[in-house]
Amino acid sequence: MPGNLLSPELLRRLEQLQLLAQRRAKSALRGERRSRARGLSVEFADHRTYVAGDDLRYLDWNLYGRLDRLFLKLYEEERELPVRIFLDASESMTFGEPAKFDFARQVAAAVGYVALCGFDRVSVIPFPERDADALARRGLRAVRGRKSVLAFFKNLEALTAGGPTDLNAALRRGAVEARQAGVAVVLSDFLDPAGYEAGLGALVGRGFQVNAVQILAPDELAPGTYGDLKLVDSETGAQQDVTFGRYRLAAYQQTVRNYVQRLREFCTARGVRFFQASSGDSLEELLLKQLRAAALWS
Amino acid sequence: MNFLAPAAFAFAAAIPVVILFYLLKRKRVVKLVSSTLLWQRFLAETQASAPFQRLRHNWLLVLQILLLLLAMLALARPYFAGRATGGRLLVVILDASASMQSRDDEPSRFEKARRAALALVDSLHDNDQMVVLQAAAQTEVKQSPTSSKTALRRALQSCAVTDSPTRLTEAFKLAQPLVRDRTDAEIHLFSDGAVGSLGEFEHEGLNVVFHQFGRRADNRGVVSLDVRANPEDPGQRAVFGGIANAASNSAPAQVELLFDGQLVETRALTLAPRETQPVIFTAAQDRDGVFTLRLAGDDDLPADNEASIVSRMPQPVKVLLVTRGNRFLEKALAAVPAAEVTVVADSVDEAREFDLVVLDDVLPAVWPAGNLLAIRSARTNWVEITGRVEAPAIVDWRNTHPLLRFVTFDNVAVAEALTVKTPSWAVPLVESPATPLILAGEVDRRRVLWLGFDTLQSTWPLRVSFPIFIANAVEWLNPATAGAAQFLVRAGDPLRLPLAAPVGEARVRLPDGAERRLTVDANAREVVFGETARRGVYRLAAGTNEVTFAVNLLDAAETDTTPQPEIRFGRYARAQATTLRPADLELWRWIAAAGLAVLLFEWWFYHKRTA
Repeated sequence: MPGNLLSPELLRRLEQLQLLAQRRAKSALRGERRSRARGLSVEFADHRTYVAGDDLRYLDWNLYGRLDRLFLKLYEEERELPVRIFLDASESMTFGEPAKFDFARQVAAAVGYVALCGFDRVSVIPFPERDADALARRGLRAVRGRKSVLAFFKNLEALTAGGPTDLNAALRRGAVEARQAGVAVVLSDFLDPAGYEAGLGALVGRGFQVNAVQILAPDELAPGTYGDLKLVDSETGAQQDVTFGRYRLAAYQQTVRNYVQRLREFCTARGVRFFQASSGDSLEELLLKQLRAAALWS
Repeated sequence: MNFLAPAAFAFAAAIPVVILFYLLKRKRVVKLVSSTLLWQRFLAETQASAPFQRLRHNWLLVLQILLLLLAMLALARPYFAGRATGGRLLVVILDASASMQSRDDEPSRFEKARRAALALVDSLHDNDQMVVLQAAAQTEVKQSPTSSKTALRRALQSCAVTDSPTRLTEAFKLAQPLVRDRTDAEIHLFSDGAVGSLGEFEHEGLNVVFHQFGRRADNRGVVSLDVRANPEDPGQRAVFGGIANAASNSAPAQVELLFDGQLVETRALTLAPRETQPVIFTAAQDRDGVFTLRLAGDDDLPADNEASIVSRMPQPVKVLLVTRGNRFLEKALAAVPAAEVTVVADSVDEAREFDLVVLDDVLPAVWPAGNLLAIRSARTNWVEITGRVEAPAIVDWRNTHPLLRFVTFDNVAVAEALTVKTPSWAVPLVESPATPLILAGEVDRRRVLWLGFDTLQSTWPLRVSFPIFIANAVEWLNPATAGAAQFLVRAGDPLRLPLAAPVGEARVRLPDGAERRLTVDANAREVVFGETARRGVYRLAAGTNEVTFAVNLLDAAETDTTPQPEIRFGRYARAQATTLRPADLELWRWIAAAGLAVLLFEWWFYHKRTA
């Protein structure tokens, strides 16, 4: 199996999973997902009165024989599920040990792998826009089919992070650009001074089934540097004077909890599934327990 | 509100230091983080949103609270009420006499002694007690027994040197009951040793530590002063002075005589080592005034370089002699210069127009009101006559008394004398084994001289001492003399002015020009003014009466500023001067200073560590 992103053992277990779509697939392309569209499949959906011009092949002759009226048999058309993965590749994601970006890529790889195995279309949208790895980004735009897994992983590995984030703008643009709504997975630390509400709201409004995964570094959850500090923001360059000691750790952790809680409440209110993970946590724990328990996949 | 230790406010100087630390900009470590968003939230939540935060366990806080508690505890001055062992009792006797003004120690003996006493205060333990006595002409209790160092320092600071002689006996008598029966009591005498005689003081094993001051005796001073009519020329006044040289080498001295501030005469002397030289000036006097004897030149002790005396114009003495005939007495009285003698056989009134009355073996119908020389005659409430004695032998006479100046009783025999008990108001001048023969004293505000035998029944009138005695008696009984003596006051002794009529108020002008107002009780027959620690001319005005007093040191013991290495008590005891004495010097100030330094260091270190 390819790549360093996911272990073969994990891949093997991921193969058994299948993305659960709570909404009907809206893709125009036919796939293996149930959709609202009526069309060609074996699953009977409904009858409707025949009007001139309907395909005579779908007439229910048995009903015609009993009622002497023409009814059309409708079948559900199975379509594919577009999965869009919004991957935060800003400068702030490069922090942490292990780096948040690496963790996010692993999650993206796992989600993508599950989707590809289920013949769904996967798009990874790293933001902000960067020219450095344009080729890899293009290769991640619309991937379909198990045969593409290798290239998908390679392209993911080729991604680099840097630059300032604008979460709202990235998510809004992703919502607008998508031809069909589907499953959206947002992988970010959600530490954007401009906030996250507008972006997530845009995705929800576009009809996406949104999954937000907040990835924080262990050092962000419990800083280990004490004393009088001048903190410099890696993205904005803003400076913040802080005097921090062991005795204020609990207060800081409470602040983090408050922040995460606000994010979680925002998500819950909009039907967004929210997950929070530390980049130092076990990937299996998140993928196989949390996401599964939240019925992202089964 | 009062502060026991106001000096502690000096610690307020530490406050700007602390503020300075807060003014100093902290050095911050620059650290690149993914995002400052969480930190901003953190600061906003912990600082701005709530004025109070939950109390967190913080060692710095604990230490600071501990420090505050300790400081508070110390300020509350806790003590044990138990029967703890009492500390030592130290009695400090600070000699404030004139000789302590000597400038051979820097800045003066007194200041140096005061500093030494303050150092002794510093060395006290917490439970030690100290008494501060200032010894001059009078002994003042500046501080009763206390452990409060602040009070003791204040008491010592309030001590002031005077121009008066030392009377250490009084101070020791005051100290003795305090230290009696206490083995841990000490008397610390801070003096130069120029204290005169302590011969009458019984030492009784007192624990005396003598801190001696003074290094040399470069001093000349006026030690005696008197003014009299010139025996050779009644129109002139003779000023007698004694000039002493305390130095161990001969010294020149220039003596000036001034009358009411005007220079009358100057005389140059050469004083031999440790010599007292008499000087006699004669000067005409046309009004009442003040003679001042002044030593020109500089020495260690200026206080004794000047002495003044009030001199009044000589007045004739009016004498009333009541006698049945006594030619010796009449002749002797007539020989007294300036005496106007009236002889009568009996006295019928109070004889107020006479200065003195002589009763020669007569019992008057009305007792005279003035001073009295009574021969074999006395009021029963003055002298209690118990009997007679035949041919009493004269065994002793007090030749130091002014009445017996140049008078001897070597060849005097008395046929018969009254026997009396010495009354409390009089001193016996001439004594026989059975009875005093001559008594002198003051009773009922008048001077009385009493002879217990008839002069005609003795050999005395035939002796040369008789007219001298009569002359002395007239001098002593003359109210003007008594007044003159009254106007010459030793520094530290009170000024006394008898009042003829009651006055409500009296004013005293001090030598430095300051004025004091005294409220006089309506029934008082005397004005007393005690603030005479400084030498000079005092003017007391009471009613229409204005009197000039001359306050002088005139003390040979004070003028002799020779440092005395030991002080004798009574017959056998003596106290050696100590130069060094093991004292318990307190360390708490240094420890407190060290603590402050540690605190500052801790602060600095905290900043260094977190920088």
